[in-house]
Amino acid sequence: MHSPTAQKAKIIWLQGVTCNGNTHSFLNYEGFERFFQRYDLLYHPLFDTELGINDLSKFEENFDFLILEGAVTGNEEFKRGKTSFAKLFEKLAKKARYILAAGSCASYGGVFKEYDPENITGIVFDKESKRGIFKEYENKTVNIPGCPLHPEWLITVLDMLSIGKMPHLDEYLRPKELYAYLAHDGCIRNEYFEWKIDVKDFGYKEGCLYYEHGCRGPMTHASCNKILWNSVSSKTMAGMPCIGCTEPDFPKTELFETKKYMSIPAELPFGIPKRAYLTVTGITKAFKIDRLEKRLIDDSKRDN
Amino acid sequence: MIVKEIIERIEGEAELDFTYKNGIIENVKIKFPHFRGMEHIIEGKSAMDALVITPRVCGICGHAHLIAATRAMEDLYKNSSNDIEITKKASDIREITLNCEIIQNHIKWFYFVMYPLIRSIQKGSQEFISLKNKKFFEAQKAVVQISKIIALFGGQWPHTSYALPGGVMCDPTYVEIVQALSFLDEVYGFFEKNIFSDGVEAFLSCSNSELISKDGDISLFVKNAYEQSYEKIGRSYDRFIVFGENSLFKSGKVLTTIVYPVKTKYVTEKTQTFTYSKNVYYKDKFYETGPLARQMLLKQPLVREFHRKLKDSAITRIVARVAETALLLQKTRDLLKCLDIDAPSYIRPKKNIHKISGSGIGVVEAARGSLIHKIEIKEGLVKKYEIITPTQWNLGNGTKKCPGVAQKAMIGLKDKKLAEFVFRSFDICSVCTTH
Repeated sequence: MHSPTAQKAKIIWLQGVTCNGNTHSFLNYEGFERFFQRYDLLYHPLFDTELGINDLSKFEENFDFLILEGAVTGNEEFKRGKTSFAKLFEKLAKKARYILAAGSCASYGGVFKEYDPENITGIVFDKESKRGIFKEYENKTVNIPGCPLHPEWLITVLDMLSIGKMPHLDEYLRPKELYAYLAHDGCIRNEYFEWKIDVKDFGYKEGCLYYEHGCRGPMTHASCNKILWNSVSSKTMAGMPCIGCTEPDFPKTELFETKKYMSIPAELPFGIPKRAYLTVTGITKAFKIDRLEKRLIDDSKRDN
Repeated sequence: MIVKEIIERIEGEAELDFTYKNGIIENVKIKFPHFRGMEHIIEGKSAMDALVITPRVCGICGHAHLIAATRAMEDLYKNSSNDIEITKKASDIREITLNCEIIQNHIKWFYFVMYPLIRSIQKGSQEFISLKNKKFFEAQKAVVQISKIIALFGGQWPHTSYALPGGVMCDPTYVEIVQALSFLDEVYGFFEKNIFSDGVEAFLSCSNSELISKDGDISLFVKNAYEQSYEKIGRSYDRFIVFGENSLFKSGKVLTTIVYPVKTKYVTEKTQTFTYSKNVYYKDKFYETGPLARQMLLKQPLVREFHRKLKDSAITRIVARVAETALLLQKTRDLLKCLDIDAPSYIRPKKNIHKISGSGIGVVEAARGSLIHKIEIKEGLVKKYEIITPTQWNLGNGTKKCPGVAQKAMIGLKDKKLAEFVFRSFDICSVCTTH
């Protein structure tokens, strides 16, 4: 644990090609005040920090964490203050002990890559391949994807590294402690998934969203149903299909319907062989579970 | 001589190029340096993908983009003679979540963007660092609470895509309703403790002189402006426009306090040479959009009184944003209490969007003003997507003879800090402006 007198870890939060969504997700963190007691945020684009954007290009000290929000771009015209983004990022990357890619854009290129695929990538990754503009910094980079990322994911990683615990990284440099789980794990609709009962349609609390409504929960690495969003909910809990935003292929298209071949979902749950899937669903489909066919609260209401 | 100023601590980055003559700002160019090509990213994709892509225009008001995209598609159904309907329940839930997004925006703007600047132009002020200030953290706590309400219905905030043509995806129970009401109570408490000492209801029925006589940060702002005689700066054309409607907001334009109807067909965009943002006009004229415009249309008494005394000054704009926060808190509480949870959340349109060709316009009131999405599809694929954001209305660059809204508000000032104060009173969002 950090004692209050210990040296605070120094953070610089830089923005690349971004919508600022990860900053606003960070602003939902419930331990905000404590965060500032433990960390020294030297620069952030939105807050009144010690440094301004033009001080960064003159910044020569070593520091602990470079957090990048947004994709990286090699376009020299893309400036932060008076310096090109790429030059500024490189300068700071050299001085940082760790680089954290905050969100899917910084991790893989994300949504904005699609407009300028030549110039825009993540730090180390360009979608699934290790062709990011700054791949040489792989050994000090941790990816924390999500669109946006969950603030607890970011702060958990910061806290781990601050006490000298290196997270176990997967093939996309994501901490397994957070991303070995699937968005599907802990979903309150799981019993419907097991018995292969899809929602009647959007707007129902009963039923699974995977079979017909395009939910990517079973194929998406994320702790969304373990560490709840805004401390209260998750997409699947509210009734929205997971859109796979933590994966390198985000954003996919046709997101709200399940693509099928011969009435079998084109993408099966992560790591489940087709034969196993067909065997198990074949059996579960043979049963009609009355309890799961009913409305949870009032079965007489609203059967449109 | 031209002095370039980079404006930081806003949503994104802007550059102001001031031209001075005899120590007075004679002209100012507003530049937004970054462009992400959001409209192009959507083109060629399936129409429903707009529900996922467009919120990523902006991290602070992405939810308004979701609702605008949804409405544009619903309009497309209607225009192509296809049935589409949504229940009052679905429209109320959308309104609740969008109201909450506007409230969180206004709190952030008030405490993260305006408060430090106003404190630093106060007489005898010390260097102000917000990260060492209790206010900053209390405001963030209120923001956390209000965002939770969006998450209860939408799963998360930012960037939920829980609304779609035909309704919403959630199916709330009384549990979510009472949780939402309790989070809302916390924000009411924050308002009373920090913004206005007599609380939400009292603020909406107070007068200019009562406001100044009380405690709280809005009273401090206004008092400070009067004491240092900058209460009248930041005036512009005094022309207002609102396109979006819901159970609170009304559409129309206001000229010398008289209200006229508006039609989106008279809205035009024009590219500029030195910045990525496009100008936007109504019948070739610049108009101000946003909370002040909405309150002028609603004839909110306090805002109207400020307007009578100070016209469309920066202080009137600030008071209007606070009044809107109070109004939306009240409205959201009412909507939550009256929500009919037994009605359907979603009615599936009879025809799949993949079988439809046509176009539609979706208009919604976002935190900074009217947001317009235009979609054109061919058999479900997006042929053309256009987004006109509120900040484009307020921050366009005109000519010397006919400057844009924020330009006009800054021209003639002597002090750069006051110009920045005026600029920020419009609540700048550079990511939206260029998208």
